Amino acid sequence: MAAPRARKPGKKTGTSGSGKGRPPSKDGREFVAEAEEILEQICGDLCLLHEQRHCQGEVEPELVHRLFRSAHTLKGLAGLFGQDAVSRLAHRLEDILDGLRLGRIDFRAPVVGLLDDGVATLLSLMTGVGRDASPSEHATAQAEQFLGQLEQALAAPPPVEQGDLAAAGLDPTLLRALTEYEEHRLRESLRRGRPIVLIDAMFELTAFEEGLAEISGAVRESGEIISTLPSAAAAADRRICFTLLVATDLDPVLLGRRIDHANATLRVVHPGNTLLPAGAVAGAAARAPVSAEGATASRATPESAPETPPEDGPRIESLRSISGSVRVDIAKLDQLMNLVGELVSHRNALGNIVTRLSADSRNARIGADLAKVQKLLDRRLKELQASVLDVRMVPLRQVFEKLSRVGRRLRIDLDKEVDLEFVGGDTELDKLIVEQLVDPLVQLVRNAFDHAIEGSEERELAGKSRVGRIRVEAFQRGNHVVVEVSDDGRGIDVASIRRKAVERGIVSEHEVLSEREVLNLIFEAGLSTRDTVSQTSGRGVGMDVVRSNLVALGGLVEVASSVGQGTTITITLPITLAIIQALIVRVGSDRFAIPLASVRETLRVADHPILRSEDKELLNLRGLPLALRRLADEFELPDSASHESQFVVVLGMGEQQLGLVVDGFLGQQDIVIKPIKGPIQQIRGIAGATELGDRVAILVVDVSALVVDASRRREAA
Amino acid sequence: MTTRVTPSVKNSASAEARDLRAIGWEGLARSASRSFVSADSAPDRRELLVIGAGEGAYAIPVERVREIVRLAAITRVPRMPDWLVGVVPLRGEVIEVVDLRRRLGLASVGATRSSRIVVIHGDNDGIAGVLVDSVKGVMRVPESDVLPAQGHDFRSIVEMFRSGESFVGILDLERVVGLADD
Repeated sequence: MAAPRARKPGKKTGTSGSGKGRPPSKDGREFVAEAEEILEQICGDLCLLHEQRHCQGEVEPELVHRLFRSAHTLKGLAGLFGQDAVSRLAHRLEDILDGLRLGRIDFRAPVVGLLDDGVATLLSLMTGVGRDASPSEHATAQAEQFLGQLEQALAAPPPVEQGDLAAAGLDPTLLRALTEYEEHRLRESLRRGRPIVLIDAMFELTAFEEGLAEISGAVRESGEIISTLPSAAAAADRRICFTLLVATDLDPVLLGRRIDHANATLRVVHPGNTLLPAGAVAGAAARAPVSAEGATASRATPESAPETPPEDGPRIESLRSISGSVRVDIAKLDQLMNLVGELVSHRNALGNIVTRLSADSRNARIGADLAKVQKLLDRRLKELQASVLDVRMVPLRQVFEKLSRVGRRLRIDLDKEVDLEFVGGDTELDKLIVEQLVDPLVQLVRNAFDHAIEGSEERELAGKSRVGRIRVEAFQRGNHVVVEVSDDGRGIDVASIRRKAVERGIVSEHEVLSEREVLNLIFEAGLSTRDTVSQTSGRGVGMDVVRSNLVALGGLVEVASSVGQGTTITITLPITLAIIQALIVRVGSDRFAIPLASVRETLRVADHPILRSEDKELLNLRGLPLALRRLADEFELPDSASHESQFVVVLGMGEQQLGLVVDGFLGQQDIVIKPIKGPIQQIRGIAGATELGDRVAILVVDVSALVVDASRRREAA
Repeated sequence: MTTRVTPSVKNSASAEARDLRAIGWEGLARSASRSFVSADSAPDRRELLVIGAGEGAYAIPVERVREIVRLAAITRVPRMPDWLVGVVPLRGEVIEVVDLRRRLGLASVGATRSSRIVVIHGDNDGIAGVLVDSVKGVMRVPESDVLPAQGHDFRSIVEMFRSGESFVGILDLERVVGLADD
């Protein structure tokens, strides 16, 4: 299990000898952090765009507009930091999105499919920037090539017929005031046969913002505001008029009822030309319509015009929306976590003193007082811990969005019809774990696409739907998060896996293995090469790597499959690696910490008869056999003889269980797992070390390694 | 030959025996390495921390020493080579401790009252502890007194210098601390 490591973008501070790359400055890091955020937003929006394009056949204009703005912002940001390659590519993407936005490019155009590649190329450029302050040569070359591809795709833009705006029946002065985007939206709305309505509204100068927002809100519920124009029409003293050009999905009469504003009038300009009063109680308060040709503004206030420049409406909105959150370097969070960890170990030291004082009759009073203070401190410390942990948590949705992009790519590359479904994107995990989870999940989805899902013809012959299904589901189970990747593909043929394993000498011919044990062989290094498994079962690109990556996070991978029906890979992960509750156990004179999240229960050896044979032991746990392993044997500690006074810690990871025999319990504690520094990097079975406040290091048991080792031993036996 | 020997650890080690915190050597080592680079000190002198293991004396470049700590309870770690004594907590970190005697091919005697852990910086912000029998002090050795040790077939000693009647070996820390174990 990797203890939390600080992720420092551009950690190298010394001048790099390559000559070409500037040493990554704080600026470079700032750029990457900010650009990453924009790209994430673009990724998410692109997902939505593809979804809407597929399911509804059209795309929400606001979404395209947002994408356009993101690309624009990224271009500007990259320019500011002198990242020319990023800037140029972002510029091209902006052009495409602008074309889409203005209706110059059709959503069915092939160039839309290239947007994802554009994002991927930007990402690979930025990886280089984060590392060496400038993109790698490979990424730059890739970007050049991609730009060429874009030029080609854009060379012949599909002609989009331009409808005649005159049909809208609008005043030509008003038409001339529209921007190209607004014209496009108007044309689009006319094409779809939406009623076009002009809303004239008058507000008190002091409160026009709220009034305008109110009307806009009502319109947006079931339509779109094409343009908001400050009206030149005269208004009474200290008042201001606006004209809203609206396309609505509602009957204009209904829309009129929704707009509950005394000084607003609706004019349906298309179809027909009718006047409607606004508000539920029509009539009484309705003013005469203010026409554009009305009296000139007698007291046109100078503030009126600049305060709502028509095209800038959305931009103002976006400026407001960024204020709610703060971006923090994860290294800073780690530092905070370490401080909390230090506090926890001091708290533990205080606990020891309390115990000592209370045991001494002369100091028992002081001990009791101190115990009270300690309790208060405890409570606050727990809250502090929880808050810091909470800050580190991020939803898995980000990972899902990346997977969805991979899926779209694969759909094209492999020419397979596959539905990729995601459930539980709100499930939260430690940011560090989420980052490490991306690669294994991409690998699993890729495998499922590539090998598990059959071609459409094969699927039809097998009586399945033509379109394959891959489902990624995440949910919380106790202190763990479970991520399942399941497909309805051809499944894994147990017999052939076994045959291969025997051929490769991974298992012997006569070994008795359960189906599950055989299935888990796909994670073995020797078996998981592409050519061996793909032709028989369709799985196995680097499954050993997938497993070792997940095990490094303290996770566990399991597989279930049935031939013809599909395969499910289940990943069980701890929610955080930062502060955990641990059970402190004793073996001889040594102490160890076991993460409580993996402890299912504890038993006394004396209460449960043990079945022994050779060096194996089995315990009857409510009628089911539980394999036992002595921690003393595991770690080659002296004195592993069985005593009636010993205890069993029942460890559970995913579907697997193991009983760990220890000499005694020393209580539960919150611990911070620290990486062990020194010449030896990885110690099998040890996740790290911690300190309980007595200046002695205690080793933290790596439960997933023990459980995996035990099941391997069983398989090997 | 030796210009200055700083007070031995015995003098400064009168602190409470239970307190296992770092003693003032970190600061000492820092100031020593500062004076090493300062203009007035001759550039042809080396600042070396001299330590004892078994019968012999060995030296470590002062700039590689992060601090010297009195012996804490060392937690042994399973599945480790015998030259790794175990791990100790060190101000928020947990570091591995290498037994210098074992690395030098001497019989291990474990920890005694005069034992210390010398905490060494690695090249890439790695650190490790070295268990030594005693810390003798910091010496400034003229560059001209340093002799190569290659001809003598040592595995862990790169250079040496003479101090009084005996030779002091300058340790190859990468060998002693690192994974260069054969």
